[in-house]
Amino acid sequence: MASLEIRAARRHFVTPEGGRVAALDGIDLTVGANEFVTLLGPSGCGKTTLLRAISGFEALDSGSIRLDGTDLAALPPFKRPVNTVFQSYALFSHMSVARNVGYALEVRGVDRKAREAAVESALAKVGLTGMGGRRPNQLSGGQRQRVALARSIVAEPRLLLLDEPLSALDRNLRQQMQIELKTLQSRLGIAFVFVTHDQEEALTMSDRIVVMRAGRIEQIGTPREIYRHPRTRFVAEFIGETNLFHATVDRIEGAQALARTAQGVEMLLPATGLRRGQAVTAVLRPADFSLADQGIAGRVTRAVYLGSDLQLYVQPDAGGEEIRVTARDGANAPATGAAVHLSYAPEAAHVLEAA
Amino acid sequence: MRNPIGWASLTLFSLGFFAFIYAPLFVIIGYSFNSNPVNMMVWDHFTLDWYRGLFGLAREQLSGSVMPASGYVESTGHMLAALRNSLMVASITTVISTVIGTATAIALSRFRFRLKGFYSGFLMLPMMMPDIVLGIGLLIFFVTIGMQLSMLTIIIGHCTFLSSYVFIIVQARMAGLDPALEEASADLGASEWLTLRKVLLPQLAPGILGGALLAFVISMDDLVITYFVAGTDNTTLPVYIFGMIRRGVKPEINAIATLIILASVVIAAAGLWLRARKTD
Repeated sequence: MASLEIRAARRHFVTPEGGRVAALDGIDLTVGANEFVTLLGPSGCGKTTLLRAISGFEALDSGSIRLDGTDLAALPPFKRPVNTVFQSYALFSHMSVARNVGYALEVRGVDRKAREAAVESALAKVGLTGMGGRRPNQLSGGQRQRVALARSIVAEPRLLLLDEPLSALDRNLRQQMQIELKTLQSRLGIAFVFVTHDQEEALTMSDRIVVMRAGRIEQIGTPREIYRHPRTRFVAEFIGETNLFHATVDRIEGAQALARTAQGVEMLLPATGLRRGQAVTAVLRPADFSLADQGIAGRVTRAVYLGSDLQLYVQPDAGGEEIRVTARDGANAPATGAAVHLSYAPEAAHVLEAA
Repeated sequence: MRNPIGWASLTLFSLGFFAFIYAPLFVIIGYSFNSNPVNMMVWDHFTLDWYRGLFGLAREQLSGSVMPASGYVESTGHMLAALRNSLMVASITTVISTVIGTATAIALSRFRFRLKGFYSGFLMLPMMMPDIVLGIGLLIFFVTIGMQLSMLTIIIGHCTFLSSYVFIIVQARMAGLDPALEEASADLGASEWLTLRKVLLPQLAPGILGGALLAFVISMDDLVITYFVAGTDNTTLPVYIFGMIRRGVKPEINAIATLIILASVVIAAAGLWLRARKTD
C-alpha cells in the first residue's frame, strides 16, 4: 500500500538578485507505508524544501502531495497527520521533558491521565524512562535528540519527517542513533522520510535512498543499488569514494570488454550493453582494487593511515588521475614511493549509464 | 603574572568610579535621617520623623479623616498625591506599551510586508528624538485637537515612546528565538493561537518582563515630556519635585527619594532574578 505520493512537485524561489531558482523541479516520489526513505544530496539540492512541503511549511507551485489518498495541499501544518524531528530539535525550554513530549496531546485536548500514559510509553521507546521531570537544558545532546523523537511520535503520526536530526551529534553517538532510529522505525511500523547530506548515514539506515541534485531526483534505489550501480557520475561521486575512468571500448570478448583510457591504461569491464568504439565512464571503489603482481602499474604517492586500513594514492605509470586504493595495513604494506600493480575483478567495475 | 602597581591603580580607579556614581545616592539616603528641618545639609541628629510623617500622612489621607491643616503638611500631601499619580501613570503606561511593543515585535519579525525596514526604523525614532521635541510636539498636538491636559494626556505621551522601548527589548529576544520552535508547535498540532499562548509568549517572557520593568521605571522617572503634557492639577512626582526645588527643598524629599531608590533596587533585583530563572 502506498503511503505518501508526490507527483510533479514544483517550487521555485526568487533570489535576492531577482533570479528564479527551482528548489523542486518536478519531483515524483512514492514512499511505502512502512518504509525508511532518505533524501540525500548536497545543500541546496531541494531535499529540505521537499520535506517542508510535506510538513506544510512550504507550499508547492504545482503538483500534489497525497498521504493515504488524501491531498495535503489544503491542510495547514497543524492539521497534517505528519510530525517532524527538527535539526535544532526545537525543544520548548520552558517546559519539562514530559510536557514537551506530551505537547501534541495537550494541544489536542487529551486528558491528563491518557497523556501521562502516552508520554511514559513514548519516553520508554526512546530509552528515556524516568527523565520526564527534567528540563531540556539539563540533558545532553543525545538525550535532547531522543526527547525530540519521543515528542514527534507520541501522537502516532502516519509519517515521520526527520530533518538532519543527527548532524549535531558526535560520531559515536551518531552511529548508535542511526541503528536505534532504524529499529524504532520498524517497530513503529510507520514511514520515515529522512533528510541528510551524509551519505554514510543514508547507506546505514535507509530502505531506499533518493539522491537529489538541483531540485531533481538523480536516482532512487536501495543503498546497495545506489552504491554499486550509480546511474550518473554525480551519484557515483557523491556516494562514497570513487575512482572514475574515462575509456573507449577496444573490443568485446564474451562477457568482458577491453577498454583503454586516453593515457593507455587497459581496463577490463563487464560487456553488458557495450559496443566497440563506445566512450564509457567506469566506476571502481577504492576497496575494489587489490595489490597484485600484475595489472595497472603505478607508484604510491601517498599512504594515509586509517587504523586497520591504509588509503593509498597511486599514480599510474601511464598517466591520468591518481587512483585511490584501500589496502590492509601490515608489515608488507607499501610505503610512499613503492612501485605497485593494481588488479580488480572485472565484474566489480560499473559502467555509468550517463556521463 | 600581575603587575602590583597596575592592579592597585585599577582597583583604586574602580572604587573611585563607583564612589562617583553612588555618592549622591548615599548622601540623599543619609540626609533622609537628618533631623534638622531648616537646613538639611547641616547634620543635627538621627531621626525617622520624615518617614513617619510620610507614612502617617499617607494613612490619614487614605482614611480621609484628617484634612491637612498647616501649609507645611499640605505640601507633603501634594507630594504624596504626585507620587500616587506617578504610580498610576506608570502602571497604566506599562500595561499599554508592553502590549503594543510586544505585538509589534512579533508582527515585525514573523510577517513579511512592504516597507518593513522603514516601519522598523520609524519605531526607533521616538527613542532617539530629544524628549523636549517630543514634549512640545505632544503638547501642540493635544492643544490642536482640543484635548484637555490631564492624566490621560500624560499616559498617552508616555506610551508614545515607551512602546518603542518595549518593542526593542522584545524584538531582541525574538531575534534570538529559533523559528523552528513555532514550527514545531504547529507541526505537533497547535493552532496559531495555541502556539502564541503556549510557546511564543512563554519564550518571550523574559524580554516582555524586562521591557515592562524598563517602561515602568522610565515612566516613573520622566520629567521633560510629562512637564509639557501634564495639566495643572495632575503633576507626577518628578514634576512636583522639580517645581519644589525652586521654592526650597523639604526634608521629606530625601525620604521619598530613598524609598524610590529602595523600590528601584527591588524592581531591578526582581528583574535580574526572573531573567536568571527564565533564560537558559
